[in-house]
Amino acid sequence: MAAPDTSHGAGTAEYPYVIEMRHITKEFPGIIANDDITLQLKRGEIHALLGENGAGKSTLMSVLFGLYKQEKGDILKNGEVVEINDPNDANRLGIGMVHQHFKLVDVFSVLDNIILGVEPNVAGFLTKKKAREKVMHLSETYGLNVDPDALVEDITVGMQQRTEILKMLYRDNEVLIFDEPTAVLTPQEIDELMEIMRGLAKEGKSILFITHKLNEIMAVADRCTVLRKGKYIGTVDIKDTTKEELSSMMVGRDVKFVVDKDEADPKEVVLEVENLCVHSKLHKKDAVHNVSFKVRAGEIVCIAGIDGNGQTEFVHALTGLEPVRDGKILLAGEDVTHKSIRYRNTHGISHIPEDRHKHGLVLDYTLADNMVLQRYFEPRFQTAGFIKFDEVRRYSDELIEKFDVRSGQGSASIARGMSGGNQQKAIVAREMDREHKLLIAVQPARGLDVGAIENIHTQIIKSRDEGSAVLLVSLELDEVMNVSDRILVMYEGEIVGELDPKKTTVQELGLYMAGAKRDGKEEE
Amino acid sequence: MMFTTGTDKSIDRKTGLLKSPAGSALRSIIASVCCILGGMLVGTIILFILAFTTKDIPISDAVKGMTIIFGGPFASGSKSSTLFVLGDMILETTPLLMTGLSVAIAFKTGLFNIGAPGQYLMGAMGSLITALSVPTNGSNNFWVWLLALVVGIACGMIWGAIPGIFKALFNVNEVIVCIMCNWIAANVVSWVFSVSGDRFINYAETKTKFIRPTSTNGVSTPKLGLDKVFPGSNIDIGIFIAIIFAIGIYILINKTTLGYELKACGMNKHSAKYAGMNEKRNIILSMVIAGGLAAAGASLWYLNGKNDFLWNTYSSLPNDGFNGIPVALLASNNPIGVIFSATFLRYIGKGGFNLAGYTHFNEYVSNLIIAMIIYFAGFSKLISDLLGRRRKKKTIEAQSAAVIAENTEGGDDK
Ligand SMILES: Nc1ncnc2c1ncn2[C@@H]1O[C@H](COP(=O)(O)OP(=O)(O)OP(=O)(O)O)[C@@H](O)[C@H]1O
Ligand SMILES: [Mg+2]
Repeated sequence: MAAPDTSHGAGTAEYPYVIEMRHITKEFPGIIANDDITLQLKRGEIHALLGENGAGKSTLMSVLFGLYKQEKGDILKNGEVVEINDPNDANRLGIGMVHQHFKLVDVFSVLDNIILGVEPNVAGFLTKKKAREKVMHLSETYGLNVDPDALVEDITVGMQQRTEILKMLYRDNEVLIFDEPTAVLTPQEIDELMEIMRGLAKEGKSILFITHKLNEIMAVADRCTVLRKGKYIGTVDIKDTTKEELSSMMVGRDVKFVVDKDEADPKEVVLEVENLCVHSKLHKKDAVHNVSFKVRAGEIVCIAGIDGNGQTEFVHALTGLEPVRDGKILLAGEDVTHKSIRYRNTHGISHIPEDRHKHGLVLDYTLADNMVLQRYFEPRFQTAGFIKFDEVRRYSDELIEKFDVRSGQGSASIARGMSGGNQQKAIVAREMDREHKLLIAVQPARGLDVGAIENIHTQIIKSRDEGSAVLLVSLELDEVMNVSDRILVMYEGEIVGELDPKKTTVQELGLYMAGAKRDGKEEE
Repeated sequence: MMFTTGTDKSIDRKTGLLKSPAGSALRSIIASVCCILGGMLVGTIILFILAFTTKDIPISDAVKGMTIIFGGPFASGSKSSTLFVLGDMILETTPLLMTGLSVAIAFKTGLFNIGAPGQYLMGAMGSLITALSVPTNGSNNFWVWLLALVVGIACGMIWGAIPGIFKALFNVNEVIVCIMCNWIAANVVSWVFSVSGDRFINYAETKTKFIRPTSTNGVSTPKLGLDKVFPGSNIDIGIFIAIIFAIGIYILINKTTLGYELKACGMNKHSAKYAGMNEKRNIILSMVIAGGLAAAGASLWYLNGKNDFLWNTYSSLPNDGFNGIPVALLASNNPIGVIFSATFLRYIGKGGFNLAGYTHFNEYVSNLIIAMIIYFAGFSKLISDLLGRRRKKKTIEAQSAAVIAENTEGGDDK
């Protein structure tokens, strides 16, 4: 309230809550996603929303943003009941949202996406110059680095995220909803975002912030509302609470933050990469340059690095999604450099992809259909070309049970309607359960709640102990340090260092990731 | 765990599995009926406006108008004429059904097969040449017929493969290639028949614009007594063959691994690639199947033995090829639905024809009215979704009541 609010209804500033959602109920087939939830957002505060995967956070925010209409309950802006029927209404009321899964037009440039819907024009002709200046200005002030002319389909997930944030800032919204914005950012970027959020709050903007990372809540939020299985559990002041209390409020039990694991016992080499080079789609240089290393059965090797340093292209080359320019990939001694994706899938590679919507799922298929995405042709699931739907369903039910994938209608749920975390859990379940020699897991815990992360890390370690090689690609320093047996740091497409997680520190890792330090043995 | 207990899930699963297909079928029927009524209403209004504003058209024609259109083949009132028209209507439905299937299966793979007219022409050419040039001796006629059908389908498959290959290998938009292939087909067919001269052209009856009907070589689709049921009409068993194709395509799409792949490619080609599916092969395959289906429509039509083929066709494309598009769209690309949407379009097509015959409205008006009805039928998907939302809400209320009841007994921990 420090800064006078001129643009949006003066005089109403007396009312402490800029937004109030009262007794909101929203249902989907087979599930009550929001069950009588009340949320009060104070002006200028950062309000965190915490809850397990599928607790109903995104749904609640979508109701506020006009994407869903609640069955019961009211929304109040500055103490007055408002009708929000679509995102345009929300925009008029100064409510902006960055979605968990971005809503960008792939074939448009970053700038075009930002101004989409509010294009500046003179007599119907686009005048992008002003818009560009504003975007560049916002981008500089808040450190949201984007290339305004790159096509969205060519940029990294991280940059897409920044585009989304800019989109909201560009519209001068006063209530900002962030649905898991940090899930895809690097630690440095997260720190910057926290700074941005604090700055915005100081300017009188009110922020609703969904995250599964308790550290972030502790660092930046003023208050936190906890949901569990669609129900309101409570709202707490952050200064009076602890991480442990929050997590037990959310999950209903205590959560371990560090998983136990035994010493690794590396055996034969499963993956060997020799001088691998991969073309970049963005620039003329290689995205991956001369990368060589080995991963053995029974160890977890982590590729750490800041987003956009070639990890995506590297993984795509390993899994066959992108062609290799030069070099070799050996899987259990066999050269698979130019083998098909199907061949690699059926010869021991499991792949948890970075982008669950683009690659991981056919969103309009049911959960059951998605569970057999790489296996539908196995004799177990088909005879003479006819799919055995009963068996598919049985198998899917089994995975759902084992990995606690939650959705309204179990196997029959359409993947699109599932919560982000549960979509991820479904992919993880599918990939872990497929027979594999090598598990390539890219950000496997992205978007998962603390309980689910604990579960997935346990599963990855179990997979290692059962003799598979694990290649973990993560931007998450905690994950890198806790789960891996060996760390390779990737910087500008090259491996610049090999570290032992037990002997190194986060600071040292950070130096490598930023390119400030590299192993002497690399040619310089 | 209120959402994940075993019992809870099995109930949901049952409702999800058993209820929704039947429910959605009912929903789409209600929706279609609503839309057709809407189309009739607007059509009637147009007829009245025209009747009021045009001197030559009496108001009584506008009053009769809709009953004639929706009377379809029954409009004449006399039994013998009705059966005759009905039989021909069924016969004419066959090619439309096939091109509808052709467009529908391509749509399932995310491809827009606007090339059905060309595939149709190639099928006609293949079948006619085979049926007219393989000698028959009275006992092999059926086999020549079958061969002609197969050759026709094969020609369409090849023609369908062309846009498929361009799309898969060179990423050229299939719509552009399809349109070009249509005109190439029209010219190829004209050229082939013009150079083959008197071997196929109907000089006997001095209908030199046409190819001889296949019955002149003793080749025609079996009738199995249908001509007795619909006296005077040319109906044959082609419609049953088309329905069998529809069922076959339904099974292919919904029950087989190939269908699973085709749909996956259509819905999300990135994840299909990730899953190791051969996207290029699937695109080509889908177009090959689509081409074969469209061609089968032509083959069944001309192998009837009585239908004339206008060979000098370089400047026009067969309507039934294009009409496959609304047929597929009306059926939401469901192969079983295509049977009904094709029949529906033919039915009101007959009605429109009668409108021009029995009233002072001309054929342009009847085409306009039919187009209105088709447009309105297109809204049925929208309405069906709206109905679905309401239905869902009701079941949710019941379900949530159950969940709440269970939960309050179970005692929540907070
Ligand atoms: N469009 C939809 N159709 C059907 N069910 C839905 C739909 N959207 C959400 N749901 C269901 O509502 C529940 C809550 O989903 P929501 O996306 O709000 O969860 P969330 O708290 O955001 O979880 P996450 O942390 O995993 O993103 C889930 O069980 C989900 O399956
Ligand atoms: Mg969510």
